[in-house]
Amino acid sequence: MLVNARRTFRLHRLAHARAIHEHRPLVEDPRWPGWGVVVGIEVHAQIKSRHKLFSNTRNAEPLDLPNTRVSPYDAAFPGTLPRLNASCVELGVRTALALDCKVQPRSTFDRKHYFYADLPSGYQITQHYAPFATDGHLRLSKSDVSVRIKQVQLEQDTGKSMTDRRRRVTSIDLNRAGAGLMEIVSEPDIRSPEEAADYVRTLQALLRAMGSSDGNMEAGSLRCDVNVSVSRLGEGFGTRCEIKNLNSVRFTTIAIGHEINRQIALLEAGEEVVQETRGFDEDRAETFALRSKEDAPDYRYMPDPNLPPLILDQAFISGIKEGIPPLPASTKDRLLELGLSERDVDVLMTIDATIDVGYDGEARRGAVAYFDEVSQGRSPKVVVNWMTNELLGQLTLHHDLHSPTHPFQNNPVSVAQFGELIDLVESKRITGPAGKTILRHIINNSSTATPSALAAELSLLAGEDVDASLKKWCEAAIQALPKEAEVVRRGNKNVVNKLVGHVMKSSRGAADAKAAKSMLEDMLTS
Amino acid sequence: MLATLPSKCVRSRLLRARTFSFEAWRQTVLADNQHVNALVHIPESVDHGASDLPLHDVTVAVKDNICTKDMPTTCSSKILRDFTSPFDATVVELLKTAGAPIVGKANCDEFGMGSLNLYSAHGPVVNPYQPSTAPGRERERRSAGGSSGGSAAAVASNMCHASLGTDTGGSIRLPASYCGVVGLKPSYGIISRWGVISYADSLDCVGVFGSSVDYVRRVFGILAQYDSRDPSAATPETRAEADVECQRHMANWTDASSLSGLRIGIPQEYFPAELSRAVVAPLKTLIASLRDRGATIVPVSLPSTQYALSAYYVIASAEASSNLARYDGIEYGLRVDPPKTADTTKTANVYAHTRTEGFGAEVQKRILLGTYALTADAFDNYFLQAQRLRARVRTDFDHVFRARNVLSSSPHRAAAPDGVDVLLHPSAIQTAPLLDAARADGDLSAYVQDVLTVPASLAGLPAMSVPVGTGSDGWPIGASVVGQWGCDEVVLRVGQVIEDVLADPKV
Repeated sequence: MLVNARRTFRLHRLAHARAIHEHRPLVEDPRWPGWGVVVGIEVHAQIKSRHKLFSNTRNAEPLDLPNTRVSPYDAAFPGTLPRLNASCVELGVRTALALDCKVQPRSTFDRKHYFYADLPSGYQITQHYAPFATDGHLRLSKSDVSVRIKQVQLEQDTGKSMTDRRRRVTSIDLNRAGAGLMEIVSEPDIRSPEEAADYVRTLQALLRAMGSSDGNMEAGSLRCDVNVSVSRLGEGFGTRCEIKNLNSVRFTTIAIGHEINRQIALLEAGEEVVQETRGFDEDRAETFALRSKEDAPDYRYMPDPNLPPLILDQAFISGIKEGIPPLPASTKDRLLELGLSERDVDVLMTIDATIDVGYDGEARRGAVAYFDEVSQGRSPKVVVNWMTNELLGQLTLHHDLHSPTHPFQNNPVSVAQFGELIDLVESKRITGPAGKTILRHIINNSSTATPSALAAELSLLAGEDVDASLKKWCEAAIQALPKEAEVVRRGNKNVVNKLVGHVMKSSRGAADAKAAKSMLEDMLTS
Repeated sequence: MLATLPSKCVRSRLLRARTFSFEAWRQTVLADNQHVNALVHIPESVDHGASDLPLHDVTVAVKDNICTKDMPTTCSSKILRDFTSPFDATVVELLKTAGAPIVGKANCDEFGMGSLNLYSAHGPVVNPYQPSTAPGRERERRSAGGSSGGSAAAVASNMCHASLGTDTGGSIRLPASYCGVVGLKPSYGIISRWGVISYADSLDCVGVFGSSVDYVRRVFGILAQYDSRDPSAATPETRAEADVECQRHMANWTDASSLSGLRIGIPQEYFPAELSRAVVAPLKTLIASLRDRGATIVPVSLPSTQYALSAYYVIASAEASSNLARYDGIEYGLRVDPPKTADTTKTANVYAHTRTEGFGAEVQKRILLGTYALTADAFDNYFLQAQRLRARVRTDFDHVFRARNVLSSSPHRAAAPDGVDVLLHPSAIQTAPLLDAARADGDLSAYVQDVLTVPASLAGLPAMSVPVGTGSDGWPIGASVVGQWGCDEVVLRVGQVIEDVLADPKV
C-alpha cells in the first residue's frame, strides 16, 4: 500500500509540473486593458444516487423534515463502518468518461480531518491522494474553448448547520451528511467571468445529461469554489485567492468580476495580493477575507484504514462507456439533422434541462426521448409541431402554476396515444381541430382510451358533421335551461356561459367552448 | 483482601451442569466480580438458545467495546459512560443466532488502549488466578493484562466458558497469558468488525478467549463468517484460497501422537534481553516434547521485528486520533458545556471541554501522538515511514512461512519447502505484574512487552496464546502460536497439540 501511495505522490507532482507549461495563454480583455485573468473552478456536484455514498440511507428530498434521513453510520455512531455505494461509482465514472478523463484502474479513499458540528465523524472521506479520474477536458458551449479537467474525486457531503444568532443556537440537520459528491477540479484555463459562467452551465448540462446530478445551484446540489488571479500580460500567473461556496451562476460571475477589480486595484496601487480564502457577500456584491494562508487548517489527510482501494477494471469501464447517454451537443446535432428547427430543438432540450433527473442513472423520459419514440415511423417535423404547438400548449394550460415541476413531467398522453392521434389526423380520418379536441380530452381527463375510440365516442370521426354535433348539444342546453336561455334572449349575454357549461358537460369536453358560445349566441339572438 | 475465590468451584459446577441456571450463576458472579472487576454489566436475565443450537451450552461475555443493543457499551470510557448502541455487533448477532447465552460486558482498557487493564473508567481488573504453589497465602493483586483483561479474567474465574475480546497489538494474547487461559487473535478480516468500536481500524481484530482450545474453536467457528457490512472483511473467495493453501501443508500430521511433517519456527528476535528466565523454561520443555513427537524445530529470523514497535505506535495512534474525533458530545455520549466565559468562536474550543473531561490520560496521550503524526510536516517521516516498516514486517513473515500469503500482491512465490507452518514464542516477557507496581512503573515496560505481540498485528496474522505452565512465582505463562494469514485452523490445531502434549502425564 505504501509503495503505491508514494508512486501516487510523485505522479501528482509530475502532472502538476507539466500542466504549468501547457496553460492556456492569457487573454486581453477591453475591461481590464493590460491585464490577464486566470480562473480555475472546483465544482462539488451532489450525486443523484438513491442512497448515500457509504450507507444504505436514502438521500434526502427537499421537503424532508430535518434528521429523518440519518442512519447510525451517518451520525458517526461508534461501531459503524462505511460501505461504498456502487451506484455512486458508476455515475462518477459515467461523468468522468463524458469529461474525457482517464479513469484510474486503482484509486483510494482518504480522511480529511476537521472539527465542525455538521461533520459528525470529525473527518470527511475523500480521494485526496489518488482520485478515480484525471486529465479530462470540457468544451464550452458558447465559445471554442476547452477547459482541462485536472481530476474528479468522490467524497462525502457534510450535514447542514443553521445558526440563529439572536437565540445563539445552532441547529444541525444530518439529512445531507454522507451524501455522495463528485468534486470536479478544472485547471486554471478560464479567462473571464463569462467563461466561468459558461463552464458552470456547460458542466450542469453535462451532469444532467449523464443523470449523475441535478446540477441545481439554487437547491445546493451544485456548489462552486473559484480560484482567481490576475497578472500583467506577458508575466507569469499572479497570486490567487479562492472564493468559497458560490451558489448561483450569476453570483459566480459577479464574485469573479469583483475579485478581478479588487486584485488589479491592489497591484496598481503597488500593493500585493495575499493568498487567502474569501467569501462572497451577496447583498454587497463583493468578496471578503475569510482566512489567510497562514490560518489554513491542516487537514491531516490519512488513507482511510477501512476502505480498500477502488479497483476499476477495463471491462467495468467499457460497460459504462457503452451505456453512456449522449451529450447535449450531440443530441442537438442529431435533432437538427432530422430537420428540426433551432427553435424546436431548443424547446425540447430546455424541457430536459428543467425536469428532475432520475435516481441512480435511471433514464427518466424527457421531451427528447418522447419525441424520439413518437417519431418512430412518423415525420419528425409533424411530430415536433404537434408537440411544441399543441401538446405543450395544452399541458401548460392544464398545469398548476404553483407546482415546482415542469408541465411536461405530468404529461398523461402516452407515446401510443399521441402517435395514433397524429396518424388519425395525417390520414384525414379526423380533422385537425378534432385532433386537438381529442388531445384536450385526454389531458383533461387523464384518459387512457385510444384516440380512435375517443373520436367515435365524441362523434369526431371525419364525415360526421362537427357543427351538427355542436348544434345538437346547444339545442339540448337551451331546452335544459329555459330560464337562462330567456335571459340571454333579452340581451344579458353573460348568462350564455351557463349554457356553454352545459354544452361542455354533455359533450364531455369534446366541444369547442368558443364555437359553442358563438353558436348559442346566434341561436338565441336571431 | 480476599484469600481465594470460593465460588469459583461452585460456578465451575454450574457451568458444567446440563442446563445452565442463570440466576444461580448470577449470584455467585455478582459476589466475585466485586473482587475481580471482570464484568462491568451483568444483565438481569439472559436469553437461552434452543438446545439444538451449536452454542446453547457456551456462556459468553463480550468486551465492552463491542456493541450490544440491550446492554451499555462504554469502552471503559467516561465519554461513553451512559451509551447504549442502537444495534448489535455482527459478532453478537452471530452468538445469539447460535444460541449462546451472553452473560455480560467485560471490562477493558479505555478504547482498547493499554496492556494492563489499568486505564478503565470502571477501575482495573484484578487477575483471578491463584497460584497452587502458595495455598492459603494472601491473594496478590496482579494485573489481568490488557486491554481485554475483563474478558480473560471472566474466563479464568469461570464466570463464562468463553468470551470475546479485541486485539489491536496484543490485547487478547497478553491477558490470556497473564490469566492462564487460551486467547486467539484471528487473521485480520476473518471476523466482522461491524459494531466493534474502532481503536485502529487496520489492526483491530475480534478474538476469542476460552478455558480450552476447544471452546475457542467452537466460538471462532461461529464467528468466522464473511459480513458485507465490514469493508475490510476477507471475501469468501479469499478465505477459500487461503484454506486450500493451508490444507496442503497440514495433511501430514493429524494429532499430538505424531507430529512428523509439522515445522515449527522459533524466531530469535522474540527472546529479548528483558525476557524473564522463568518464562523461557516451560517453553523449552514444550519445544523438547514437540520435537520428541516428530515436529521439526527450526530457528528463524524476522529481522524487521526491531522496527515493529515504533511502526505500530505511529499507525495505531494516528488511526486512533482519527477514529476518536467523533466523540464530541453532539450526537451521543458525554457532553460538557463550555463555561460562559469560554471562547467558542472555534468548534474545537467547544469540543475541548467534553474531550478533556471524557478521555482518560492514556487515550489523550495517544490522540496527541497520532494527531502529530498526521500533521502535514510529520506525515512523511512518521505515518508513511511506519507504513513502509509495516510492509517489511509483513514480508519478513512471508519469507519464513511455508504457506503462501494469499493477500500478497507480489507474484506467486514458489513453495518454500524449508519454510515453517507456525511460529512459536513466549506471549509475554514476564508473568502478570502486580497492579500497584505496574501503576508505579510508568508505561515503558508495558511498551517493551508489545514487541512480542505487535508484529503479528501489523501483518494481520492469526496468533493464539496457550497456557504452557507457570513461572517460578507460580503464575501462568503463555506461548504464542502464529500462522500465515488465513491459516487460523493451523494455529488452532497446533494449539490443540500443545494442550494435549501438556496434558500428557509424562511431560
